[in-house]
Amino acid sequence: MEEKTNSTGQNLGIAALITAIITFVFAVIPCVGIIAIIPGIIAIVLASVGLSHASRNESPRGVLIAALIIGIVAVLISLSQIFVAGEIVKKTENKWSGEIREVIKQVQEDVLRDLEDASVSIKVESNGEKVEINTHLNRKDLLEELEELEELEEVNTEEDDTLQTEK
Amino acid sequence: MLIFAYSGIFSPVKDNYPVKCIHEKLTGEPCVSCGLSHSFSLIIRGKIAEAYQWNIYGMRVFLFFALQLVIRIVFSFFYLKYPDTRKELIIFDIAGSVLIFLIAFFPFIRSISSGILG
Repeated sequence: MEEKTNSTGQNLGIAALITAIITFVFAVIPCVGIIAIIPGIIAIVLASVGLSHASRNESPRGVLIAALIIGIVAVLISLSQIFVAGEIVKKTENKWSGEIREVIKQVQEDVLRDLEDASVSIKVESNGEKVEINTHLNRKDLLEELEELEELEEVNTEEDDTLQTEK
Repeated sequence: MLIFAYSGIFSPVKDNYPVKCIHEKLTGEPCVSCGLSHSFSLIIRGKIAEAYQWNIYGMRVFLFFALQLVIRIVFSFFYLKYPDTRKELIIFDIAGSVLIFLIAFFPFIRSISSGILG
């Protein structure tokens, strides 16, 4: 009976070791590395069950410990593949955001160029009264209007001064 | 043996490989092991130059699996024939296999470590 339980522990150890080695080989390959987590966990479980059997029956545990260590290392490598993938995604995200920023900048420039010669008219109707405001965003015209307004303001201030002296 | 069966069954012309690169699906960028299945299938069919085009490291990984198959057969033979040297054989087998593994998979290990370390 004791021999049977001992062989069960050993069989589990061999199964765990083979699974762990296969997992380790696949974990290193980036294409399938992430999938290797599943057989890695199976190897760890098999090794743990085998270890519990071996500790109960005081049978040799060398193969089981080796399987457990290889299984854990393989799972860690598989998990590192996710980390590596995450890092690559981060890098590509930065690349995309840069491209998007460039596109937005181009669109902004195009819109501003289109608006340079655009004219806007606003009509308001209230109780039969009509108010119409026309404006345009041509820079030259705007500058001219600004100059005119400044001149008018100067003239107005001068007139105001004369009025004050009359008083 | 499973690797050779996989490479023999699935054809590079039909492109009917069941394993797709998860890395590429997640990141959108091809990884260092992309094209390995194609490369194996082409090596099995004797198209070595084309295999190199699919994956530059395909040949060394394929040689690792081929050597492992030969080593298993040879060591099993010596293991059964010379029972007194079993311990030495196991140590020699482990050391040799680890060395071949490191040589064959070095580009993949380097890509993982560079990904982790930045």
